[in-house]
Amino acid sequence: MVFVAGAVGAALLVPVTPSRTRLAHAPTLAAARAEREVPGLGLGWGKLRGWNVVEDGWLLTWQPTHGAWLVRAWVPDGPGDVRWRLDAAPWLPGARLSRTAAAGRIGHGQSEVVARERLGRRDWQGGERRLVGALDAGGALPQVPPVGGAPWAAAFAGLLLAGALARTAFPGVISRGWRSMSLWATLAGVALLPVSLPLAARSMTVGVRPWVAELALVATGATVLVALAVGAYRLPAKSGCPPLAWAGSALAAGLLAGRLHAPDWLVNVAGLSWRPGVWIVTAILGGWLAGMAGEGLRELLEPVYRVRAVILAALAAFATWTAGAWLGPVVAVVLAAGGERGHSSWLATAAMWGWVVGAVIESCGWVSPLRDALLVLGLGVASLAAARGPADGGRDEPA
Amino acid sequence: MPRPSTFLRALAAVCLVGVAADALRREEAGPVDPVSVAWAGLAALGFQPIGEPELVLEADQPLAWSLERSRPGEDGVRLARSEGGALRQRVRFSGGGEVVVTAGGLLWSVRRPVPTDPGPDPFPLQAQERLEESLRALVGDPSAWNLVRVESWRESGSLWYRARFAGGPGELPPGWRREVEIERAGSTVVAWKQAVHPLGTDVGVVMGRIAELRVLRRPALAAIALAVIGLVLAGAEAHAFHQRIGLGRGAAAGIVAAALAWLARAPSAEAVGMAIVCALAAALRPIWTSVPKRRFAAGAPFGALLFLGLASLPLLVQRLGGWMPMTPASTVDLSPQHLLGTSWFPAVAEEPVLRGAFPGLAAPVFGWWGGALIGAVVGALLHPLPSVPLVAGLGRELLVQLGMVGACRVGGVGAAILARGTCEALLRRPLYPSGLVWDLVALAPLAVGVVLLLRERRAA
Repeated sequence: MVFVAGAVGAALLVPVTPSRTRLAHAPTLAAARAEREVPGLGLGWGKLRGWNVVEDGWLLTWQPTHGAWLVRAWVPDGPGDVRWRLDAAPWLPGARLSRTAAAGRIGHGQSEVVARERLGRRDWQGGERRLVGALDAGGALPQVPPVGGAPWAAAFAGLLLAGALARTAFPGVISRGWRSMSLWATLAGVALLPVSLPLAARSMTVGVRPWVAELALVATGATVLVALAVGAYRLPAKSGCPPLAWAGSALAAGLLAGRLHAPDWLVNVAGLSWRPGVWIVTAILGGWLAGMAGEGLRELLEPVYRVRAVILAALAAFATWTAGAWLGPVVAVVLAAGGERGHSSWLATAAMWGWVVGAVIESCGWVSPLRDALLVLGLGVASLAAARGPADGGRDEPA
Repeated sequence: MPRPSTFLRALAAVCLVGVAADALRREEAGPVDPVSVAWAGLAALGFQPIGEPELVLEADQPLAWSLERSRPGEDGVRLARSEGGALRQRVRFSGGGEVVVTAGGLLWSVRRPVPTDPGPDPFPLQAQERLEESLRALVGDPSAWNLVRVESWRESGSLWYRARFAGGPGELPPGWRREVEIERAGSTVVAWKQAVHPLGTDVGVVMGRIAELRVLRRPALAAIALAVIGLVLAGAEAHAFHQRIGLGRGAAAGIVAAALAWLARAPSAEAVGMAIVCALAAALRPIWTSVPKRRFAAGAPFGALLFLGLASLPLLVQRLGGWMPMTPASTVDLSPQHLLGTSWFPAVAEEPVLRGAFPGLAAPVFGWWGGALIGAVVGALLHPLPSVPLVAGLGRELLVQLGMVGACRVGGVGAAILARGTCEALLRRPLYPSGLVWDLVALAPLAVGVVLLLRERRAA
């Protein structure tokens, strides 16, 4: 236990160069600032639908219930101007300003403004400024960057397939505890979907009512989670429990990976009020998946069993430089592949747990997510300590 | 004393014959010959076209459905095909001249080649009068039109005029506007065209619903993608444990689906994707023991009954205060092969997945009915029509899917394919011209259904 505490403490305190600067304000505070500082647009903004972290600031989205327009604002985390943009459905009626009037309103020369005819209005663009009919529509906003790491994602998918085949082809004593925990995690995930909708702000579209976009997201999420539940039932983890020191080391490695490369979506989760639930579900389901992918990698490396440790170490070192937001899952897969078959889910889940906490600790500077992250970390360490020994003793069943 | 099953079979056969008669009765006259209308339109401008005409279908679907919503019932359908100009055919003559004719046979726009000698230029003071004279010769209600703008320029030695006339709504819904633009070179009318400016909010409702349904399609596509992963895993498992896999059956199903997609002019990505999914589902069918036994004869009666229900649904929804389009999405091709493709591609490509793969994969956890209901919900999100409220359109598709679940439960996946193809062919038939070939394509499944019922009786 002392070793685990030491490893986790070291992973928390060792100085690293994080991939992003720490944000000091919650997205709800940024929204309040935007509503205070952006000039009146001449129409209602509707409800705050979600947020994305972009370039050291929050990109926030508002949309009224009818969905006919969308207001977006980018609020820098520190001092600086709030940038905003209004988008309206092409069929929405409005004014047809003349070129002279539009140029005067935008503040450019007449030759610099370009008209765009809509069904019931005329829009104008001059430089970065825009008019929707006669309404000022703001300018360009920073774009949400793509997730990146496509080769790692593809490799992860391939390893998952290999792991699923390995679990099918090499049946062993399955862990009822892991199976029920995965199923409960998917159930909790379905329950958490409605409160996680702000994470999908990019899905809000002009002309589509927010409830429809939200319903589509919940349905997609529920579909994926039901598929995961079927997968967790058909392909459960094998029975076994690694020594506490190994699991603690996996937790510490994940923590370090999260501190090195915090993915944007985990920072977005920190803005939710139900964030601890989302983190725990992510860690358990991510751990189950990474454990399965790890088993796939383990079986693929079977022909070169003697140099497996060297290959895995090289893979982890390579991932540290190139995997970016995928570093946490890659570390979990490598650790799962390095252990015995019955240890894969334990090690991968510990690594994913540490990754989630490490990412939040390194990238969020306001109090509530830091407090929750430390609580979740404490819960993880306590769970490992409680599970020391034959965790599934007497409750396993042959496949 | 005949047995109850014989009564049922006889009833189903009578039902199929009745539906065939009803479908023939419902069949619309179809569009008038656009080439003859185009000839007349060009002749009115003093030009005799030469060469082969090339026909291109054009459809402004949001505009057509907006008219149906603003004028409920058959009036809206008629408006979309005529004064609304939402469904048109463009006729191009190889020797010059281009005419757009609405599906109802109304001239929508005409452009003739510029003559070598377009005649003397009108005096500037008489130009407006000449343009108004031209309008009177071209539109039926000249008093409803006001001149709003005239432009002029000199080109190739002639003085050109372009005049724009604005009309009120005419027969269109209140708030809509019509416009006519006439071009004259010298003393010759070279071109004229009509346009409709709909009320933004009328079109907005339909465009919004179309966009929303596109968003709601994403969970269904995600579910199909997950089903493909499940199929790959199930196939690998079957191979590892030496279970029987129908590779030949899968390849045949994939080829048929791809051929139908080609006839239906489906986007290549959709065609290839669905053909692969269909092939996978058909190949793995032998390992799913929960699939009901084959009784193809049950398919056509299910499809025919569903067609009757769906055909009367828009009127029912209108009576309840909502709206649902009377016509399905417009077609891009009027050939019988296209009718065959659009009717049978969804049946052959989707039914093995929705009625075979989903229950097969989900049965160990949710049972056959659980899997079938998941397949029905997924299928309901794939092709719904816009409606007010949105739930009505989704409910209509769910009804179709539940009908297919029933057909599958009674007669297996093959019966579901036959039911879906029968229903789709009957629903799409009114979009195509009158003619024996189209009738044969649409009604052949009913005939097959009657034959299968009679054969089953003989076998019994």
